[in-house]
Amino acid sequence: MFERFTVTARLAVVGAQEQACRRGDDRIRTEHLLLALYDVPDHLAGTVLDVLGADRAAVERAVDERRAGGRVSDAVALATLGIDLDEVRRQVEEAFGPGALERTRAAGAGRRRLGGHIPFDRATKKALELALREAVRLEHRHLGTEHLLLGLLQAEGAAGEILAERGIRLDATRTAVQEMGRHRRAG
Amino acid sequence: MSDATQVAAAASSRDPGVGLAAVASLRGLLESLEELQVGNARRQGWSWQQIADALRVSRQAVHKKYRRYGL
Repeated sequence: MFERFTVTARLAVVGAQEQACRRGDDRIRTEHLLLALYDVPDHLAGTVLDVLGADRAAVERAVDERRAGGRVSDAVALATLGIDLDEVRRQVEEAFGPGALERTRAAGAGRRRLGGHIPFDRATKKALELALREAVRLEHRHLGTEHLLLGLLQAEGAAGEILAERGIRLDATRTAVQEMGRHRRAG
Repeated sequence: MSDATQVAAAASSRDPGVGLAAVASLRGLLESLEELQVGNARRQGWSWQQIADALRVSRQAVHKKYRRYGL
């Protein structure tokens, strides 16, 4: 499906992979793709997001909050079982050195396997499909970041929710994409 | 048990969210500890069979899980 992707759309997909990796996630989620949209140079989605009033800093904050929200730390969760994680860490470090526990692969270190790719989660796959459908619907020959944005707005997942919280609606975005698309090439 | 631990234990009650999160964290800790111990055993020249016996799992299971780490 990637053959119709513009160079910037491809960069955004690669960026999403990097976002997932940097955040220690084992799947590429919609919010990773959304953040990656901001990072690729000179492209339509970024312009549209700016015009509609969703700046990167606010979106990144929302992503971080969601991640932290509703999830207790391991230390607190283990304390409910009577396990003192600090004490476990102290014992482990005595035997294996400082940071031993965090350096294990099980703890997420080196999760990106050599040459391996982090897979897309279900919602992100759907967003890519919907992006393709948007390109077809708008009779655009290429799939650019603007279509990725439209796909994210329709798919399940954190990206759509974060955008919706900022009042960004599918119809208005589609209109903005069409209008701006008249003035410049897809990107 | 520290004060914080007691408070947390008292709060756990029957809330599935708390209980499941604890199990998930415990599993993560277990995996990290197993990895450290298996790595240490290999470095000290233990065979996969010896490690498997100590872990009370099959040799195949432990070898399959850790050989990709180059242990």
